[in-house]
Amino acid sequence: MKENILIIGGGAAGMEAATQLKKLGLNPIIVEKSERLGGHIAQWDRLFPAFHPAKDVVEQMLNNVKDVDARLNTEVTDIQRDNNGFHAVLSNKETIDAKAVILATGFDLFKAERKQEYGYGIYNNVITSLELEKFFKEGKDPRINNPKKIGFVHCVGARDVKVGNTYCSKVCCTTALKQACEMKEVFPDAEVYTFYMDLRMFGPGYEDLYLKTQKDFDVKCIRGRVCEVSEDMDGRLVIKAEDTLFGKPLRMTLDLLVLMCSMEKAKSIDKIQQKLGIANNSDGFMQNKDMYLGMNDSKQDGVFVAGTCTAPKSLPDTIGEARSVAVEVFNYINNK
Amino acid sequence: MNQYIFHPFVLPFVLGMAFVLTYCLVGLFRIIGQLPKDDRKKFWRSLVTPKTAWANIRDLFGDCLFHVKIWKRNPILGYMHSAIAFGWFMIIVIGHVMLFTLKPLQDVDVHGFARTFTNFYYPIFYKHFAEETPVFAFLMDFFLIVIITGIFIAVVKKIYSGVVGVKRVTKFGFADNMIRFALWTIFPFRLIAEKTNIMAFWWLYSIDLMIFMCMLPFTRYMHIPTEALFILLKHAGLKPREPRKGYALAQIYSCPSCGLCIDACPMSVNDKNSGNTSAYFMKKLRNADDAEAKRIAETCMQCGKCVAVCPVSIESCDIKMSQREATPYIINSDHSYLENVESSSSVNSTVLYFAGCMTQLTPKIMRSMKKIMEAAGENYEFLDKDGGICCGRPMMLSGKKSEAQAMIDKNTELIKKSGAKKLVLSCPICYKVFKEEYKLEGIEIQHHTQYINELIKNGKLKVSKGDVNYVYHDPCELGRAFGVYDEPREVLENVGNLRKAKSEKELSICCGGSLGSFNLTQQERDEITANSVDDLMYNHPDEIVTACPLCLKTFSKKSPVQVKDISEIVSEKI
Repeated sequence: MKENILIIGGGAAGMEAATQLKKLGLNPIIVEKSERLGGHIAQWDRLFPAFHPAKDVVEQMLNNVKDVDARLNTEVTDIQRDNNGFHAVLSNKETIDAKAVILATGFDLFKAERKQEYGYGIYNNVITSLELEKFFKEGKDPRINNPKKIGFVHCVGARDVKVGNTYCSKVCCTTALKQACEMKEVFPDAEVYTFYMDLRMFGPGYEDLYLKTQKDFDVKCIRGRVCEVSEDMDGRLVIKAEDTLFGKPLRMTLDLLVLMCSMEKAKSIDKIQQKLGIANNSDGFMQNKDMYLGMNDSKQDGVFVAGTCTAPKSLPDTIGEARSVAVEVFNYINNK
Repeated sequence: MNQYIFHPFVLPFVLGMAFVLTYCLVGLFRIIGQLPKDDRKKFWRSLVTPKTAWANIRDLFGDCLFHVKIWKRNPILGYMHSAIAFGWFMIIVIGHVMLFTLKPLQDVDVHGFARTFTNFYYPIFYKHFAEETPVFAFLMDFFLIVIITGIFIAVVKKIYSGVVGVKRVTKFGFADNMIRFALWTIFPFRLIAEKTNIMAFWWLYSIDLMIFMCMLPFTRYMHIPTEALFILLKHAGLKPREPRKGYALAQIYSCPSCGLCIDACPMSVNDKNSGNTSAYFMKKLRNADDAEAKRIAETCMQCGKCVAVCPVSIESCDIKMSQREATPYIINSDHSYLENVESSSSVNSTVLYFAGCMTQLTPKIMRSMKKIMEAAGENYEFLDKDGGICCGRPMMLSGKKSEAQAMIDKNTELIKKSGAKKLVLSCPICYKVFKEEYKLEGIEIQHHTQYINELIKNGKLKVSKGDVNYVYHDPCELGRAFGVYDEPREVLENVGNLRKAKSEKELSICCGGSLGSFNLTQQERDEITANSVDDLMYNHPDEIVTACPLCLKTFSKKSPVQVKDISEIVSEKI
């Protein structure tokens, strides 16, 4: 039996699901809209909590899927149910008939421009967490010019009623601390501040990272949100925030501000999602059947979900879900 | 008493009429008695001031009898209302004219109280007692038929309200349904009675009138007599001070519960929220359901669209505000910091720019304004460059007038000290409170849409025209509150192409971000925003333009195209 399984999205979830499905004797087909596999994680330099190079993980995952049928620069433009399962039309006019569909479409990074008060796209020295990661990877960014004072803002586009995202984006806390340490490594003389609501160090080794950040790297963690950013005459950033532990408003001049952008469900899949009849939760992420035993099932027969399309997730979470979706699909095909 | 002009069937009518007249008279004294002293003075004075007196006469005829506003909205609905109201009015007038001209009554030897009593019911039942001249007969029949055609439309509307362009109507209880039925049957009964002179129909006609009169004070039809008083009070320039007293009470009874505000209210996009609309708010107040009235007053976004569409011009937003003022919310406000605030602006500028809190959170607008003022060579200064004091509007919206006043006073002091001749604001929320509550004699207050338009018009600002298609969203506190509709549109026509939204100007739909509501959930707000965006996208514009930092932030969440402030658009085109 070499049943086709259509996987939409070639990021961590898509690749890992394909790897496992192949091992289970099915024929996964990845449809990826960009020109490469690897998703967001391939843009990352090092991973929390242990500063492990992302490249190692990504290369191994890519190696695992080298025999998998992957269509790059391709999107699913139409999908319909038929007697044999699903009939998908791709943007290159090819068609795929598959027994089951896995939505592994991941997330979009919150557009920092939407939080205009933080000045992204207005002031030169405001960058996003992704851009900082690119700086670590490539070693250059014209905006990062030997900064003396650096600030990190947590929860940009997360836990924020005003932008409409009330959920926690899960990974930004730990990422911020990891990046703060790395900044200290690159610029040992710089003062680094992070502005958090509360630090959600939920995983193994994460809390240790938090202690290390303060003890070994001398990063100052301030509990309080940044409310406004403006620019002074010299082009430095003036931020207003509140230190809620001291119960006092504060004002600070910075050379660089890094915005920890949240995850939002990837919008490019909306049309296909609608065709498949998969609804969103109130937080905008896809609905699965239930959050315990049916986390990889959707409410539609033969359509499965994995990874950050249903909620913000860390890389280990995503890989775990990708493996479990493979088992779910395998059982689904066998019981048909 | 002479049998010739009396019959027992007139008694139900006489009873009903006596009741309703007494009720209205008592109500009139009560309302006027409840007015604060200075308001009452204003009211008496307005009755003899030629300008307001003329407005009174104009509106009493235009609104109460001819229903001009409803005609403008929907001619069928307009005809229905004026047919019944004006037709009935004419029947009463002609009836009374006949009282003094018809022969049989003139000849009867009745005097004193008995004569007054007779006069009371005679015009209503004259046909049973006398034969009128052909001219009168024609006129009376004509207006009776007019009324009946109006009632015919009312019956059709009851079955299918879409015929008059209304989607949702107010849901009524037993009393309102019953009196409506009475109203519908009065005139057909009269017609039959007059044409056949069958006693049973005279009785039915009279009893129907009695039911109508006796139920009137307890139903929505009370708006018929009350609206006249409301018009007089409105023209006196009063504001409701307490939610269920005086002027507000006159408004409560003037609400016909027609429900035009239900379709208009942005909250109605979710059907389950249509109970939060003004029609129901007035009903709750009237039924003294204070808890519900308070809840609705707190839910309202204060966008003012219900007031804009109201055929009676009930100022429901003001009444809701008075309801909030009457609620002792506990806000721990500490304004001691105000003492230490120093103005950062110099004395030499002619234009003072006040960004306000919301604009501080949208620095693109501030940047654009700076660029525009520099390009125009204006002598300007920022009032709140390093953070300023809130304009006071959020406090006002919480019903805390005195707390707001502390900020208003300090801002006034700073603004006057600057010596500027013009104050430019970017935020319509600030604009409203500056226009209504600040006393800044000699200083012109402008929103930046007006200011930019002026700069372009007098040639100070040169802009280039592009080919982007814009749609303009009217912010509630700029559009409906002050009628600033044309300036922003003129500005946009100078820099690009203006497309129309589906609902514009006074019908524009609130963005959903309003500071006005205390308790709408995010999801409910999102539904409103999505609906408003859909409305703006009607003609497929390339960009949505607004002139309020809050609208900008709210739309940015849901819009499929870029949302920009008008100042941003203009600064791109310098």
